[in-house]
Amino acid sequence: MHIPDGYLDMPIAVLFYLLSAAVVGYSVYRVRGTLDEKKIPLVGMVAAGIFAAQMLNWPIPGSTSAHLVGGAIAAILLGPYLGCLAMTSVLVIQCLLFGDGGITALGANVWNMAVVNVFVAHYLYVFLRDKGLHLASFVSGWLGITAAAIFAGIEVGLSSSFKYSIGVTVPTMGIWHGLLGLLEGAITAAVILYIAKNRPDILNEEVSEE
Amino acid sequence: MNIQEVFRSRKALTVILVLIALSPLFAYAAEAVNYSEPLENTAEEVGAEEHPVYSGVLPDYTVPGLDPYVGTLIAGLVGTFITLFLAYALSSLMAAKKGK
Repeated sequence: MHIPDGYLDMPIAVLFYLLSAAVVGYSVYRVRGTLDEKKIPLVGMVAAGIFAAQMLNWPIPGSTSAHLVGGAIAAILLGPYLGCLAMTSVLVIQCLLFGDGGITALGANVWNMAVVNVFVAHYLYVFLRDKGLHLASFVSGWLGITAAAIFAGIEVGLSSSFKYSIGVTVPTMGIWHGLLGLLEGAITAAVILYIAKNRPDILNEEVSEE
Repeated sequence: MNIQEVFRSRKALTVILVLIALSPLFAYAAEAVNYSEPLENTAEEVGAEEHPVYSGVLPDYTVPGLDPYVGTLIAGLVGTFITLFLAYALSSLMAAKKGK
């Protein structure tokens, strides 16, 4: 899911840097002054947990694999704005320290995994919340990652290195991550249900109100 | 507010440390099944190639010169704790902006 250098045409890379900067900037604006003593360490923990979880590449036989992205977990635990910022921190460190995701593609990667994944997951969770925590967190994890993959497909599919084959890239990315996303959904649901049972105080209350 | 708050949640820290401890095992298993993500497969299908312009300080979660599995473990520890402190520091800064 992390787009490396060389996949995106420069105008696409720049466009997504700008779009991501706008949403990240707006998220900082929304979050400023709203954090309490309990949220601050939680942001650190959620970001660190997502970084560690992303290191575990699921060994799925058949040469199409993935790892957890965690955008839905961030959205549900921290709310969309703080969730977006936590995911952005993870992606920036992965890019700068480990060369995971190209530096020219960082804007697009933030857009896909910290913006699209987090906000789609958030709205699905809010929409489905009264149908039950199981369903809401599963669907939010599953379709959040699928939406992110579709955007990655759009970005590379509009670039010359992919021969502008958006008709191939979008369905391929969407279908594969739609399938692999079932695992992301299952893990999201397991994490959220565990937290709801053991630490109900840290489930983001704003989410149910917004 | 201080950083000790973070280390009070022992259970969360334990889970994170277990994930890091598992990373060399997952790296081995992923290699054994020829781990490859849909994006890489799509790139191969249409003939797109990576052109790295920057490979990071610990490229691909390894420590140059060290055994790759030991490197993964170290990269995991370093990355996780830098992420923890960065996210913590940024949210402390944002909390302090208004009021306080």
